[in-house]
Amino acid sequence: MDNSSHLSVVLDLSPAQWYQSPLSLDSFLAQLLVFLNAHIALKHDNSLAVFGALPDKSVMLYASSEPPMDTPATSDPNCYPPFKRLDSAVTARISEQLEDPLLDVTTPSAIVGALTKALCYINRLSVATGLVDPRILILSVSPDLSNAYIPIMNSIFSAQKLKVTIDAGQIYGPDTVFLQQAAHLTGGSYLHLTETSALLQYLIMTFLPPPSIRKVIAVPTQDKIDFRAACFCHKNIVDIGFVCSVCLSIFCQPTPVCSTCRTKFPIKTLQRLNASRPLTISSANNSARPTPVSTPRSAATAARHPPMSAESIQNGSGTSAVANGSGH
Amino acid sequence: MEVDSDSDISLDLDHQSSKAKGKAKAKAAADKKKADKGKAKAKEQPYVWEASFARSWDTVQEDEAGSLQASVEDLMARGRRRRLLAPASAIRRTIIRHLILVLDLSASMMDRDMRPTRFDLMLQYAREFISEWFDQNPLGQIGIVGMRAGLGERVGAMSGNPQEVLKSISDRVKLEPVGEPSLQNAIEMARNNMSHLPTHSSREILILFGSLTTCDPGNIHDTLDTCVQNKIRISIVALAAEMKICRELCDKTAGQFGVAMNEGHFKDLLFELVPPPAQRAAARSARPSGTNAGLNPAPANPAADLMMMGFPTRLPDASIPSLCVCHSELKSQGFLCPRCLSKVCDVPTDCDVCGLMIVSSPHLARSYHHLFPVKTFTAIMKDLDVAPDAADACHGCTRIFPERATNAKEGMSPFRRYRCPDCENDFCSECDVFIHDVIHCCPGCGK
Ligand SMILES: [Zn+2]
Ligand SMILES: [Zn+2]
Ligand SMILES: [Zn+2]
Ligand SMILES: [Zn+2]
Ligand SMILES: [Zn+2]
Ligand SMILES: [Zn+2]
Repeated sequence: MDNSSHLSVVLDLSPAQWYQSPLSLDSFLAQLLVFLNAHIALKHDNSLAVFGALPDKSVMLYASSEPPMDTPATSDPNCYPPFKRLDSAVTARISEQLEDPLLDVTTPSAIVGALTKALCYINRLSVATGLVDPRILILSVSPDLSNAYIPIMNSIFSAQKLKVTIDAGQIYGPDTVFLQQAAHLTGGSYLHLTETSALLQYLIMTFLPPPSIRKVIAVPTQDKIDFRAACFCHKNIVDIGFVCSVCLSIFCQPTPVCSTCRTKFPIKTLQRLNASRPLTISSANNSARPTPVSTPRSAATAARHPPMSAESIQNGSGTSAVANGSGH
Repeated sequence: MEVDSDSDISLDLDHQSSKAKGKAKAKAAADKKKADKGKAKAKEQPYVWEASFARSWDTVQEDEAGSLQASVEDLMARGRRRRLLAPASAIRRTIIRHLILVLDLSASMMDRDMRPTRFDLMLQYAREFISEWFDQNPLGQIGIVGMRAGLGERVGAMSGNPQEVLKSISDRVKLEPVGEPSLQNAIEMARNNMSHLPTHSSREILILFGSLTTCDPGNIHDTLDTCVQNKIRISIVALAAEMKICRELCDKTAGQFGVAMNEGHFKDLLFELVPPPAQRAAARSARPSGTNAGLNPAPANPAADLMMMGFPTRLPDASIPSLCVCHSELKSQGFLCPRCLSKVCDVPTDCDVCGLMIVSSPHLARSYHHLFPVKTFTAIMKDLDVAPDAADACHGCTRIFPERATNAKEGMSPFRRYRCPDCENDFCSECDVFIHDVIHCCPGCGK
């Protein structure tokens, strides 16, 4: 509690998504800046970094360790200088980036890039100064991207290694499974914003307290995280799957050849697995088994899982967004 | 104690030759750049018993400014060279691993040539090894066998839970070294522990061996033959000297053998065994069937297999408490086996009731980085390669690059710039290490 804390914020700045969102980017930024100011005001040596995920690229917008050189000429006597520096740096950098004529607004934003940069930065700080309780807050407006599954999972695991807590807020659009898993696996909270006018309140109540004192206050937790997997062949959610031992592709039924790595499987195994299948069919059918209380198995839960097609692993070409609900 | 150190000396002659052999081998495998360096290093750091007494904190050198930068750079340079040696393309690796760690608990482990003792050092490194191993092989399982008083002794049963494995070697007093070691007894015990395993998973034995003798009830070559038949890979890290039987065990089973020269080398040898072994045989037979279909025997690839796995349902923290099948404890949290609906405490595991392998999808994802590694970054060597409009800060952590070339160790960039071949962004040396060893994903191109 007495320690200063580090916060890295990853902002999803996808123009296409913000255009559709009921909350305008301006009012979002206004509320966000109050939150960021609150963070640096909370403790004298709290540190802060802000990263932006733009279509196809990611930038660092602000870092408290490297204050921008060009201090605003007109310093406002009514404003605490660090606040002013932060606010003007962030807004200036964002408008500079969004006015870039080369920006293709339809490309999905590079959340992965921004997240990995945040991790690199935290790694650098913790080597240099030994950070306590670093955390990352991802504020996203985009849906999950299927080809980002492996990089996001890798980032989550490195965050675990660095003992970084990842908090995630989905400001607009459907729930994202990736961010839910990120928050769950690193001990952070995930928040799906339903009331956009209360954004600031959500931010301050949920994400402002550092992880060390969250034990004593009630922050939103999630208990319905989906750990089931989607088969690579039909993108069905399966609870018993057949996994290739070489590449770990998941199939919903025994296949003679792995479609991802072209490994052939022994005939004996196929026979054995096929023989044991009738048992699994009844359990694969959800209605036949009792579902645990408060673990809703709605169509929405069942359909939102990282589908990872064989093609997108192999050439990374699958740029299409995850079709939520494609399984049904 | 006296006897032991005497035997070391009497074997010294023998040892010199094996050391030369080992060195020649290491050199052949190593990068050219590394060769001179390795030689210089070996001269500085002889076998521990040849060296005069040195405290571990003396070996880290501070520079004039009192910083440890130089030592840190040395470490980084070593990491870079190691990565350059590794094949860049994706290779098949055994993801589901089963390892029996055999610890030498014989009297010779009380030798103080490695500080504080061989035994304490071995326990410390074994703990670090186990944590790192589970980190990189989330679907693997480790069992522990001790060699003590001429017997093999089961210290820890095969388990996929790092905490359980670490707990089994946490009590130093229970493992107090005594008597002679028996390689044969220990290997037989390890082999019996693994005999039921399916063929697609690896079966490995790693022996940490500090003695120069083995006290066996029968012919150890018979044991070796059975291990070859059962496709068990034996690797040995010896702390004393090379024994012919040890070398043979490793060579015949395609394992790795190494003699630790000092504490650091011991750790290096041990940690080389952490990443999953490449599956060479599998790669050959898994080529598209058109090219050499005739050569492939009918059971195309015994090492590859289809596995049935269950993806469990996680019970919410607030559900009604019930008994788990693994510890018979009453608790709310847990995972439900999808086949028999019994409740287990932790995944990954094999269901205690129906035997189904239970994993969660993040566990599978944890292994993907072995299959799709990040390309090695190229060190920028020449002035020309730094374009005038090149970014002046690291693309990852925004650390500012030096403007002029600095003197750098071999293989390191004098500009401290390492460039991703795909997105052509420059990274600092620290991020280079971090990206390849931890994140496994380039911040520039997201691959
Ligand atoms: Zn399917
Ligand atoms: Zn495969
Ligand atoms: Zn239990
Ligand atoms: Zn079961
Ligand atoms: Zn860097
Ligand atoms: Zn790149």
